[in-house]
Amino acid sequence: MDSECLSLLPSVCEVLADSKLLPPDDTSLEKLLDWFKDLTSQDDGQSLLQHQPCLLQFLYSVMESEVVDPIIFSFSLKLAGLLAAEESGFCLLQEKGVLVSMFVPDGWHVLGLWKNASVRCGWLQGLWNMLQHPPAMDFFCRNGIITLVLNLQNDESLFITSLTNQILAHILNCSMPRVLGNDTDSTAEGQALVSSDWVSVTTEIMSHMSRSLASEDQAVILPGLRLLAIVLTQCGDPLKRLLWKHVLEPLEVLAIRKGDSLTPPMMAVLQAAARTPLYIQPECRVEALMNVMLYSRNTNESVLCAASILLLEKCVSIRLIGSAVISLLRICIGHYPSTILQVGNFPHLIGCCKIQRCGLDVLGSLTVYEESMDLIQEAFAIILQYMQSPDSHATVLKKAHQAALKWFSICSPSTDLWRFVSNDLFSVLKKHVCDGRWEVRDSTLEFIAQLTSALKGNSEYTEALHTNGMISVLFTALSDVEAYVQASAVAALGEALTTTNLPLCTSLQEEIVSHLLTVLAQDAESFPRRAALKVFTSWLKIPQTFAALDQSLSSVFSLGGNDCDWEVKIHTLELADVLMEKSLSHCPYAVQGYEPSERCTEQALNKLMDLGTLGLLFKCLFDCDRPVSQKACALLLKLRAFMKQTSHTDGNDLALEICRYNWGEEILHRYCSKRPEQSDCVSNDDEVSYEQIDIVKCDPCWPKEISLCKILDVLDLDEMQHTLSLSSDHVINSPRSLMEDILFVAHQSEDNVVDCY
Amino acid sequence: MPDIKVTPLGAGQDVGRSCILVSIGGKNIMLDCGMHMGYNDDRRFPDFSYITQNGRLTDYLDCVIISHFHLDHCGALPYMSEMVGYDGPIYMTHPTKAICPILLEDFRKITVDKKGETNFFTSQMIKDCMKKVVPLNLHQTVQVDDELEIKAYYAGHVLGAAMVQIKVGSESVVYTGDYNMTPDRHLGAAWIDKCRPDILITESTYATTIRDSKRCRERDFLKKVHESIERGGKVLIPVFALGRAQELCILLETFWERMNLKAPIYFSTGLTEKANHYYKLFITWTNQKIRKTFVQRNMFEFKHIKAFDRSYADNPGPMVVFATPGMLHAGQSLQIFKKWAGNEKNMVIMPGYCVQGTVGHKILNGQKKLEMEGRATLEVKLQVEYMSFSAHADAKGIMQLIRMAEPHNILLVHGEAKKMAFLKDKIEQEFNISCYMPANGETTTVTTNPSVPVDISLNLLKREMALGGPLPDPKRPRTMHGTLIMKDNSLRLVSPEQALKELGLSEHQLRFTCRVHLQDPHSDTDTLSRIYSHLKSVLKGYAVQHLPDSTVMVESIVLKVSSSAEEPDLKVVLLSWCFQDEELGSFLSTLLKKGLPSAL
Repeated sequence: MDSECLSLLPSVCEVLADSKLLPPDDTSLEKLLDWFKDLTSQDDGQSLLQHQPCLLQFLYSVMESEVVDPIIFSFSLKLAGLLAAEESGFCLLQEKGVLVSMFVPDGWHVLGLWKNASVRCGWLQGLWNMLQHPPAMDFFCRNGIITLVLNLQNDESLFITSLTNQILAHILNCSMPRVLGNDTDSTAEGQALVSSDWVSVTTEIMSHMSRSLASEDQAVILPGLRLLAIVLTQCGDPLKRLLWKHVLEPLEVLAIRKGDSLTPPMMAVLQAAARTPLYIQPECRVEALMNVMLYSRNTNESVLCAASILLLEKCVSIRLIGSAVISLLRICIGHYPSTILQVGNFPHLIGCCKIQRCGLDVLGSLTVYEESMDLIQEAFAIILQYMQSPDSHATVLKKAHQAALKWFSICSPSTDLWRFVSNDLFSVLKKHVCDGRWEVRDSTLEFIAQLTSALKGNSEYTEALHTNGMISVLFTALSDVEAYVQASAVAALGEALTTTNLPLCTSLQEEIVSHLLTVLAQDAESFPRRAALKVFTSWLKIPQTFAALDQSLSSVFSLGGNDCDWEVKIHTLELADVLMEKSLSHCPYAVQGYEPSERCTEQALNKLMDLGTLGLLFKCLFDCDRPVSQKACALLLKLRAFMKQTSHTDGNDLALEICRYNWGEEILHRYCSKRPEQSDCVSNDDEVSYEQIDIVKCDPCWPKEISLCKILDVLDLDEMQHTLSLSSDHVINSPRSLMEDILFVAHQSEDNVVDCY
Repeated sequence: MPDIKVTPLGAGQDVGRSCILVSIGGKNIMLDCGMHMGYNDDRRFPDFSYITQNGRLTDYLDCVIISHFHLDHCGALPYMSEMVGYDGPIYMTHPTKAICPILLEDFRKITVDKKGETNFFTSQMIKDCMKKVVPLNLHQTVQVDDELEIKAYYAGHVLGAAMVQIKVGSESVVYTGDYNMTPDRHLGAAWIDKCRPDILITESTYATTIRDSKRCRERDFLKKVHESIERGGKVLIPVFALGRAQELCILLETFWERMNLKAPIYFSTGLTEKANHYYKLFITWTNQKIRKTFVQRNMFEFKHIKAFDRSYADNPGPMVVFATPGMLHAGQSLQIFKKWAGNEKNMVIMPGYCVQGTVGHKILNGQKKLEMEGRATLEVKLQVEYMSFSAHADAKGIMQLIRMAEPHNILLVHGEAKKMAFLKDKIEQEFNISCYMPANGETTTVTTNPSVPVDISLNLLKREMALGGPLPDPKRPRTMHGTLIMKDNSLRLVSPEQALKELGLSEHQLRFTCRVHLQDPHSDTDTLSRIYSHLKSVLKGYAVQHLPDSTVMVESIVLKVSSSAEEPDLKVVLLSWCFQDEELGSFLSTLLKKGLPSAL
């Protein structure tokens, strides 16, 4: 443990125990517990308690206090549990009488603290932390704690009932192997530990479960069913078999009992049982119970049951499900399949978005099964119907797009398919790009981009895309009123041009690039600007050259580097990365067996300089947003490494006229601080003030240019990168900061603490 | 009895991530879906596994309603809809729909910037989530499905904030979100109908506070800024992009104009324009004064407030800068703070809450030495001021809203336990209604007594009158008999005849039959005659007839006799009666079972 934290801990404990002071907010206490958890996992609770007597003192004072705040009390219970998570810590706390006072029912909770849900929750959490070893189990079983835990199973709080169930399942799981006597791992010593208390606790839990399930009160049955489902999922087979025997009878009664709220938890139990060996044992009657559930309920509930049964894999043919889904989707859109006679029964399904969305989801997910291939035509037909329907809700159309993408991913190209794409699909998509709802326009553009990317390299598709007027539709969408839509249009257009094998006419290229530059310069919403930069980067990555882009790179770097959105800056740096990679990798390295071409390197660096790439890197290095400066730092390190590799190029030839740039000041500042001996203008102080820099800048004796190598050297990039990787946690997560905050808050007036947005 | 269940997953006895589940009339609704900015792991979001373990929230929830754009009310929305999985409708007002993604983006960026952040939503997820949003207009009833309807009311607090009434049949709940009962510089006061909901779920941030007048706080704020400027200092006001910032801008703009001040006021780049755009777009959501003066001058087009550039921070002389983010935990506000912190002439004014761990939180609690970048120490010499401009109803305002809506029950959320308990007592005493304050995870169940209104036919009323009953009186309920027709979303009580006629049905008669075996060594006809004579003698005063079709009738009861060729002496008497003569029918069957007197 950090020594500074050690020195703060006693004061923190004092502050927490002082009922006259305001307790810290619950997030601080939770984070403090996180820290204790880390500590106890590194070191056991005993040594922590021995080295930090303030902890024990704190627990004592909380127990003795009559006016303890429930939040602090709850915290101390959790803490005690954590400290007792290891046997040694447990023994120490038990020896000191802490555990009995804190966890045994007869103690404190009569004080009225028990009424507070956070205290009950803390008590359970403490137990949960502690019940990790046999002595703790012994403690639990001997002291009659189980009665209280079982009572909490019907607590008003969801958090408490859920935690109770976890604890009960844990106890059963730990004790059953020993109680049943088939714990193969246990030694004779371990066996000896199985006292009658353990047996009676497990019996009590199981009887409680079967009593709960046999109850008339839904509020009692519900947690019982939940616990059963947990046990069936988490516990070992012998326990499951034993328990099932206990509960089968009440379950059979419950299966016939009707009541909305019990159907889902009952089905959860049966689903869990069906995934265990109980399913294949006829005497366990799992399948019989499912049958009863399916047929004894009203339509709504039967559907719920059927849905759960269908989730058990391989019970129904995929073909059957597929046909059913397609029929249902047809009904929902108002097209009745002729095979369904009782059409009158479904008027409420027509236009029902909920079912349409769900149906399209299922339709899409069928594509993982090979059997679905037979349905491909029907699937595309129904998807198209949904796309063509003027009544389709925006969210439904999005689902139709997602389903279509999945079906495209499995179908093999055919003339029919391309006919479908260019005649049917594109014509409806073109309409949707002009829809009145931005959601529809955006989803459609996203769909076009995804489809184009998925069918990359497919010449028929590309041809269809470029000969169908789609490009001009995308172009129009660039001027959409919604920023989201503009961004999607930029991305779709970018994708369309990246994937094409067709030679693009120069004028179209120029038109697009100039449009994207306008976006970069004028857009106020950032999404289109980010999209434009991503597109530029993807274009720069492909082997073909985009002459129009090459000519505009310097404008792109200048606009992107001066952007107010840090993500735009990050994307600009990514573009710079690709450009650097491209230009510098053309210069052969010595390792490759060639004499590195000095001239080539120089040219490449000059090009980067002229395009503003280097300026961008230096400017971004001092950005106020960490990711930007970190990325710039990484790129500069890359550049430095490259220059070191081509070491004979001393870089002196490439000098930067730093006074011309506003980032130059920062560099000059560092330059002066690092090398004060070089200048008479600067004093020998460690820190150089900006005023001094101003003097430097005006001084004619000062070099106006500094070589790139020197700059890279002076910047101490490694140190910067290290600092950047440490910093930016301005929500400071260190335990020391947390403890300082707790100490400062405790002495504040109430007003600052209570306020919110 | 029907009931309404309310379970807060967040905002139960705390001010954290608001998320309240309501079950009403078989519908499940989530009210708000907020995040807790104090955590940087999963604990920042409500734990949705308590709703359903299988992650399919769509199966369980009928809709989600977001009250306003603050992140503690909407910050978990993309996580819930895109990462956990919810495809159903999300309702919020138009301004909230427009502004919500901006704040979510803002926070996502800051979060991504931080180390150790896991499981956070992406920009794409925010967009996908916003596509599921259905916008609400004030006072317009929106039908979520056939039974569930919602209606939004003005809540003040921030632009677009709404209270919402949720109704299923005759049961209803009102959720206030955050609200303000007094108008401020740019927003009006909350207002609601006398809608008498079964439960009013109200925020209780200032449960025990009677706040000093806003004017005092404003004066105080202006005084502090002015003093600092006068002595040549620089004033930093860290804010979130939208909300309080605009109110403070209006305040300073007016003050500068009035006092003819020359010191520059700056606002973080990109934000003023965007914010102004929304305030102009949603001018109808602002207060009356702004709306009225809008024609001559738009309050949000500032004369004195200019866009800020990074380099201005080093300019000499006084200035005021509004910079984001509001808790001084990253970005521009933190960068400026670092530059200005060492000069005691400067001042930072924190206009809102800061979570633990942020620089804002530390300086507010009096820390004078801050550890930056893991090693360097920053000395805080500048003046630190805290001015709460958050717009919540105070205790008086909460009571005023209760008087307005006249609920049957109150449920307090979004406040501190101790203060809630105080307010709960006060409410129960003053209004004599139950007040609940569930902790997170605790379910409150309120039994309702839904009255189902039914129209009654005039004929039925007339008939009732003809029978001499009193005139109908709403204060004196009484029982009426008739046939209930449930058709086309209406309920009507009519006479049975009218019901048959309207529904095109014919009347069916229900008859009971019974066979009695008799040993009677006579012919069937003779046995029937003997029965006739017997009944005639026993049932004096009843109409007993011997009909030519070999039947005997007693009132509506028909008797027939038959026997088989094998056993001619064993007679089977078939009795049949309609249900009005039930008693007489069973009497006859019992009588005949005893046999016929031999004397006949």
